[in-house]
Amino acid sequence: MDYPVWGLAMGGGLLMALVAIPHVIVSHFAVGGGLLIAVSETLAVKRNDPELRELARRSSLVLVLASTVFGAISGVGIWVVAGLISPAAISALIHTYVWGWAMEWVFFIIEIAAALVYYTTWGKISKSAHVMVGWVYFVAAYVSLVIINGIITFMLTPGRWLETNAFWDGFFNPTYWPSLVLRTGIAILMATAFMVFPALRSSEPRRAGILRYLGWWFAAGALVSYAGFRWWEAALPETVLSLFAGGSPTLVVLAATRSFALWSLTGALVVGVVILIVAPKLTRGVTAVVLAALAFAFFGGYERLREGTRKPFLIHSHMFSNGLLLSDIAAVNAEGILARSGWAARGPEAEAAVGQRVFRTQCSSCHTLDGYQGIRGLLPSFDDMYQLAEADPGGSAEALYAAECAACHADITSAEMLEMMPSAAEMAEDPEMIHDLVSGMISGSLVKLQEMGTDYLNAPLGVMIDTTGFSAPYMPPFVGTDAELEALAVYLSALSLTEPSPQQLASSGGVE
Amino acid sequence: MNPNLIPALDAAGLPGPPWLFHVLLVFTFFLHLVFMNLTLGGTLLAAIAHFKSGGRRDDFRGVLSGRLMAINNYGISLTITTGIAPLLFIQLVYQPFFYSATILLAPVWLAMLLLLTVGYYAAYLYKFRGAPARGQGGGAWMALSALMFFAIAMIHVAVHLVHAQPEKWAALSDGAWCVLGDPTYWPRLLHFVFAGIGFSALVTAWWAVRCAREGVEVSVNTDIAKWAWRWALWATVLQVVDGFILLMVLPQPVLRGIMSGGLATLGPLTAAILVGIGLLMMLSRATNPVDKPGLVTGTLAAMTLTIAVMSITRHQVRALYLDPFTAGSEFLVIPQWGNFLLFVVLLLAGLATVAWMVHRVLTSPASGADAA
Repeated sequence: MDYPVWGLAMGGGLLMALVAIPHVIVSHFAVGGGLLIAVSETLAVKRNDPELRELARRSSLVLVLASTVFGAISGVGIWVVAGLISPAAISALIHTYVWGWAMEWVFFIIEIAAALVYYTTWGKISKSAHVMVGWVYFVAAYVSLVIINGIITFMLTPGRWLETNAFWDGFFNPTYWPSLVLRTGIAILMATAFMVFPALRSSEPRRAGILRYLGWWFAAGALVSYAGFRWWEAALPETVLSLFAGGSPTLVVLAATRSFALWSLTGALVVGVVILIVAPKLTRGVTAVVLAALAFAFFGGYERLREGTRKPFLIHSHMFSNGLLLSDIAAVNAEGILARSGWAARGPEAEAAVGQRVFRTQCSSCHTLDGYQGIRGLLPSFDDMYQLAEADPGGSAEALYAAECAACHADITSAEMLEMMPSAAEMAEDPEMIHDLVSGMISGSLVKLQEMGTDYLNAPLGVMIDTTGFSAPYMPPFVGTDAELEALAVYLSALSLTEPSPQQLASSGGVE
Repeated sequence: MNPNLIPALDAAGLPGPPWLFHVLLVFTFFLHLVFMNLTLGGTLLAAIAHFKSGGRRDDFRGVLSGRLMAINNYGISLTITTGIAPLLFIQLVYQPFFYSATILLAPVWLAMLLLLTVGYYAAYLYKFRGAPARGQGGGAWMALSALMFFAIAMIHVAVHLVHAQPEKWAALSDGAWCVLGDPTYWPRLLHFVFAGIGFSALVTAWWAVRCAREGVEVSVNTDIAKWAWRWALWATVLQVVDGFILLMVLPQPVLRGIMSGGLATLGPLTAAILVGIGLLMMLSRATNPVDKPGLVTGTLAAMTLTIAVMSITRHQVRALYLDPFTAGSEFLVIPQWGNFLLFVVLLLAGLATVAWMVHRVLTSPASGADAA
């Protein structure tokens, strides 16, 4: 939290998604493609099948251009973007797993060297030597996945690492093996989805056979993915699983994402079996695009789910998504954010300006102002209040109470609230009163977030924290002094400030 | 300056002693530099040769251009691949400085990804749509590629200078472009550009001499060797001059630190200057390098050695820049020697695998129905 903050209007999360999604698709294709191409060429040599050989040759150009160029650049891109939007987080990961990444780098060197040699030696070296290069490529690419899988899964389920801080305890964490199976299936799915396109260029008599061959791969990839996904779910701690699964999931959006992913996978399997195995003649450019889109949708859904279930952590039960270490909560509360970060301290002393810098330091890793997860849209405003009251003219307090107050004021009944709350017309007549009310609500929410820090401090050490009972289970706690909290409340209140519209003013005139 | 602008060291500590990561950083950066020189200098030189040839493959400079870009189709990949390791280690040992610098230069640092993608694919487009495939043309792709790589070099130099000068962060946060006004910016950038051109020219000359000596297209390869040799000579002349300018414009405390650092700092710097001057003497000893293949190989080896030594000096200069800000702050060290050993074993096994693969490929030529 002591780094400068890049004020990216679109939001860091969206930028990361733009870089990471293409990267994971391409990198999984690079792994699965390695397997399919190596197997295809091996079979082609054994069976003397020139069409299968051509499939391997044509696919290898895509493999080289996608893997060695885009895969490499976007892989570096993830580090670049992570360093810009979450420097503390990527730093923590690198300091913990530098040797893991160094080992992966070794296999990446082999992978790139083999890919380049493989592509450029078609028709120039013996078949056995060429097949050997293909297998070297695949093994290196797969071991890269084996290594990076440990670091990715560590972030969600660090397991015994939370207690021991030992490299291998975090690496072989509870979701390591299920995730490896799942990603192996996904790699095959991605590769097959891509290779259908070069397969369409096969000669007419053999095209159906080649597509059917890919169809069996696709079906196998889908089934392995499904098995891996269910195993992954089973390996998740109950506290994480309950966020998106079961009868009443805590996060409805994530539950919908899970359904979306599984239905996409089902759709991909059905479409794949129909157009590749049962009736290959149905395979055209358009149907191949549909097949690839369904496979990507499943993969994207799973990745979204994995990222979403980690909230509010970047490394579960160790570091929050804004870079705050769990172990730093008490210290930052005592010292204040401005004392910890020269960047947050730097600037005008006015309360709203301080609040803006506190917002940038603590909140901007997830919230933009008006874009992705825009904070302005999430804050209560005059308009929100007015619309609620207007929709319920007979008893605006009921609606307002349910929408904005019940969570914090369980001690106040709706009848009492009715006495206290104004009607829509009264609101329009006295907007200042509503602004004060909104400011109070924002302050109240921030205090709740600050108090949530105590929940984290009281949580048992060395195990994954169950956040489901917390007041805002998907948000980091607010940390800082009371003055900083008040400054943030002033800034946020100013953001939510809107004036009554002419229509609203007209309604207030009606009261008079 | 508010010293608090420098973020705290990562609480996770280092999984090994700092010296180990400094050694790994310098070594892997040297590997990266070798390929980076080919990518940056090679593309610039190829573009110059391409335009001088009028884009024709029947001109020896057109052949040279295609040859350099053929190397680059591998070289760019290897530049990125070898760049990953120093990027990893710099995040480890210069974490607060490096991340802060990249954030202060965030838009251009991020743009590097786009420039790299465009530059790389432009190199492939030249191969598939330009002179190598069609016999002529493609200069626009090559120029685009060269421009992209030059821009990336500018970005890297800027990030390096910003991360090494935390005292300028406050001013930079109000306008990062002022880094271009740093007295060392342009000499530093040119130091990379001249090194790249000189190294690429030498590699090209070495390859052409080898071909000519084997009797392959003797006339064309002799012309290529002479032309590239001259470029290597003049790039090295400019490099030596620029190197002295860079030394002179370094901040006084840094310069004093080098001069008073004893053998540790003066040794590599003196060695680099001496090898640089030696390079000039070697390059000026021949007008037709085909006649002196030993000299060409020796010169290439000497230039590679210079790059290695300058990698050390560059690292020391950075340490001197950062000395006021790192003194007194020490990483928590929690060694993972087992993992380090595993990394070394895998690295050796990996390099052996690549060597074995290349050997197998070179000893398995085939054509026609016997070929893959």
